[in-house]
Amino acid sequence: MNEPLVQHLTPEEIELWAQGLLPAAREGHVGACADCRLAAERERKLIRELAQLTRFAPEFGFVERVMAKVKIPTPSGPHLRPHTDA
Amino acid sequence: MRTYDRLAARAAGGRSVEAVKVGEVPKGCVISAKDRPGNLTGASDQQVAAWATQGHEAAFRELVRRYERPVFSLLYRMVRDRALAEDLAQETFIKVLNGIDSYNPQFKFSSWIFKIANNAAIDHLRKRELETLSLDGSPHATTPDQMRATALQLGDRSETPLQELEARELGSAIERAIARLRPEYRSCILLRHVEGHSYEEIARILDLPLGTVKTYIHRARNELRTYLEDRRP
Repeated sequence: MNEPLVQHLTPEEIELWAQGLLPAAREGHVGACADCRLAAERERKLIRELAQLTRFAPEFGFVERVMAKVKIPTPSGPHLRPHTDA
Repeated sequence: MRTYDRLAARAAGGRSVEAVKVGEVPKGCVISAKDRPGNLTGASDQQVAAWATQGHEAAFRELVRRYERPVFSLLYRMVRDRALAEDLAQETFIKVLNGIDSYNPQFKFSSWIFKIANNAAIDHLRKRELETLSLDGSPHATTPDQMRATALQLGDRSETPLQELEARELGSAIERAIARLRPEYRSCILLRHVEGHSYEEIARILDLPLGTVKTYIHRARNELRTYLEDRRP
């Protein structure tokens, strides 16, 4: 008699598991399959590391430097906003 | 001289959250006085963009405030040069804000701004690839003096305050692994796992088929794991 076909997790399912979003019907496979569990745990570790990356800030005064070059629309048409420090 | 230490101190910060309500404020709609800027902080990106279209300066500022860190961070990780990333970020915001009339509120504002930022980064990387000097100097140099003058000075990097800051900010194992990814993979992985965009949004941002985005992200994660495992004992 043939072995039942093992349906390993797809990369997308592994990502869903790492985010706690894998449907319950597939959760059982993670518990039963050592290969998928290992792959999923490694994926979760990487995804967490990426999600915790720092949000870098541009140099102080960035907003003002941008605003100095933005044309604010007016009823009579756009004009270049004069630069002022907030 | 720029005070880069000030930047490092401010480096860690909160993430902007986009409250998306597609079609809530269709472009060109009339906004009543009670809805005008004043409650900007809690407004959706679409609302703020609609106020900007009407000429409210505070709305422009709010959009820059919400996206300065995400856009700058994406660009910084793409080009790995602080001053250049800031120039590209400015270019992105100026293009977005001066073209606010062309924003379609049926799509996320973040998708639109990241598309413009990513295009700026990719354009720059392609240009830089063409202009890369060899270690021996410019290919256009014809005399020994010209070759010496244009040769890359390997010892120069990491000696300036800016280079020291960049080394601190981008020197961790995960940052160095991201830097080793090809640019298309880097964009995908940053948009997916740092910015939290869906696969469909990334496909729109990068103008790529959905299947390609899935493949890129899968391959990028595999490469990142390999790079990280290579350096672990």
